[in-house]
Amino acid sequence: MAKLLVVDDEANIRLLYAQELSDEGYEVVTAASTAEAVEKLTGNGFDLVLLDIKLKNESGIELLQQIVKERHDLPVILSTAFSCYKDDFSAWLADGYVVKSSDLQELKAEIKRVLEKKNRIKAG
Amino acid sequence: MDWECCWTKNEITPEECPYIAEGEEDLFGSLQRRVVEKCMECPRFKNDLQRMKELAYPLSEVLPLIITEYLEQKARMASMTSFVNRKTREIKFLHELNVVLQTSMDLDEVLSVAMTAITAGKGFGMNRAFLLMADKERQYLRGYLGVGPRNYEEAWQIWQEIDRSNNSLRAMARNFQRTKLTSEKVKFQDILEKLSVPLADEKHIFNRALRGRKPLLVEDVFHNPDVPPELARVLGVDCFLVMPLISRKRRIGIIIADNCVTHKPITPQDMQSMETFAFPVAFALERASLYERLREEVTKQTAANMKLKEQQELIVKMEKMALVGKITSSIAHSIRNPLMIIGGFARSLLKSSARDDQKRSYLETIVLEAKQLEDVLAEVLNYSDSLFPAMDMWDVNQLVTAVYDELRERLEQRGIRSSLETAPELPMVCIDYKQIAYCVRALIINSMELLPGSGEILLRTVTDGERVVVELSDDGPGLAPEMREALTTPFAATQQMGTGSGLPLCRTILERQGNELLIEDRPGGGTTYMISLPIRKEKE
Repeated sequence: MAKLLVVDDEANIRLLYAQELSDEGYEVVTAASTAEAVEKLTGNGFDLVLLDIKLKNESGIELLQQIVKERHDLPVILSTAFSCYKDDFSAWLADGYVVKSSDLQELKAEIKRVLEKKNRIKAG
Repeated sequence: MDWECCWTKNEITPEECPYIAEGEEDLFGSLQRRVVEKCMECPRFKNDLQRMKELAYPLSEVLPLIITEYLEQKARMASMTSFVNRKTREIKFLHELNVVLQTSMDLDEVLSVAMTAITAGKGFGMNRAFLLMADKERQYLRGYLGVGPRNYEEAWQIWQEIDRSNNSLRAMARNFQRTKLTSEKVKFQDILEKLSVPLADEKHIFNRALRGRKPLLVEDVFHNPDVPPELARVLGVDCFLVMPLISRKRRIGIIIADNCVTHKPITPQDMQSMETFAFPVAFALERASLYERLREEVTKQTAANMKLKEQQELIVKMEKMALVGKITSSIAHSIRNPLMIIGGFARSLLKSSARDDQKRSYLETIVLEAKQLEDVLAEVLNYSDSLFPAMDMWDVNQLVTAVYDELRERLEQRGIRSSLETAPELPMVCIDYKQIAYCVRALIINSMELLPGSGEILLRTVTDGERVVVELSDDGPGLAPEMREALTTPFAATQQMGTGSGLPLCRTILERQGNELLIEDRPGGGTTYMISLPIRKEKE
């Protein structure tokens, strides 16, 4: 069972993701800030991070850069309210991105695709 | 007494005076006029005076004195009349010339008037004239225009043409400007080129004339130590006139005039007349050149103003659009999250609700309406995105120069020598400026970090077939195999690569736009990185 970390400052979104993704069979841990995310990432064997770009007074991109630098084997999917990822090339460091939608099918498909890719690379 | 001359008769017959010519018949009946105009110089009258002397006539000793004095005064009067007539013609001509010169702002027209005045028969009637003008940088007197025949046949043809027409100076000058100005420049091109002289050459006869501010008559040209032999050979005349053109204290140029065809001597009167003529010509030439320069500046200024206005309008438009985009994005962000939560939970509830639950339709409506609102939002956001197309035609030289200038100080601080070589006439390429600038910056920073303390970075732009290539070469230690490997593996990090994201991201950006990042080892050590951008004719 893959373990996901959902980072979003919006409590209801964390709740929605947690519920929907758990239904898909993932183990979901949530974080409301980058600090909380960094703390939870330490020592825990996460398989994927679902990261909101615009957090309250914080930038998800900075966390993304940190993850890429320190945990380059941990894939990240950016979740955005609009296409602001185009403004910053660093967003391209992510393995995938989805625009937030009430229909989570796209998100679920993207998670599946990235995890499969990760497993393929791991298997070598 | 029977006198030989007719001076005693009131009226005479044609046989009585053979000195009355055709057209002077009225003298037959007018004694007074006949005596004054004819008898005074008639040999018969002289004989009669001799006879008077022999016969001891009382006035015979005095009369010859009176007659001699009269004749002398008559000759003097004739000479003065001729002088006055010539001066009147000259003043009339100078007046005509001044009127034309003062009313002209066009350099070519002024030149045409001046050169026509020197060479036309009704003007100074010189055979040939050359105009040399001080260049804009005030370094050289340069041959600008030559007027006149190159040989006797051509001279004959020109004089016949002038004889046939009885045009005013302005009409002649206009005709010259319209039909001959360009061809005369070409005709004398070889001579004009050889006449150019540096203004700093103070010993040269042209500069001496300018310094002296007076026309110089140069004679015995082929043996004159003041005339460079090359100049004598080019002009091929024994005598020429150098007329300085000076307006206030400014040296405008000189006119060289000669009689290369007729070899008529140039007289002090010619020089005097030309001196009177030089001042208005110099003034008009200066005014016309200033006017021309002013017109050029005004044209440039107008174009710059237009461009500025267009850019200001564009900036205002872009600012408005940016504001629209910002507001739209902000609204979208605030709406999308709650919308997603509403729709997401409704879907969640719908999934778990029983098929026969009557309230299921309410949930379905919420899902549908939320979806519709999300679609509208997406449409609005796509529209605001489309207002700012990222891809456009850009000059890569300008891009690389801008990035290089930005980083040069950092390179210097690190003791890294660097240079930029831009290819001339590089074609424009269709790129996302921001992204390619990011890549060039990433390449420079990458090399800078790899170079051990000092070293050299060479940046250049080249055209390679259908591609424009930005090339960066360094003399660093070269890329280790694991680094090369890392470059093909996204998001890999090696300690040497710092964040490790520069080059892989660079490659991702380039490849997404259909461009390439090539890395090669340099034979003498170091690495060459190449960003290869295809030249596209149109925006895609």
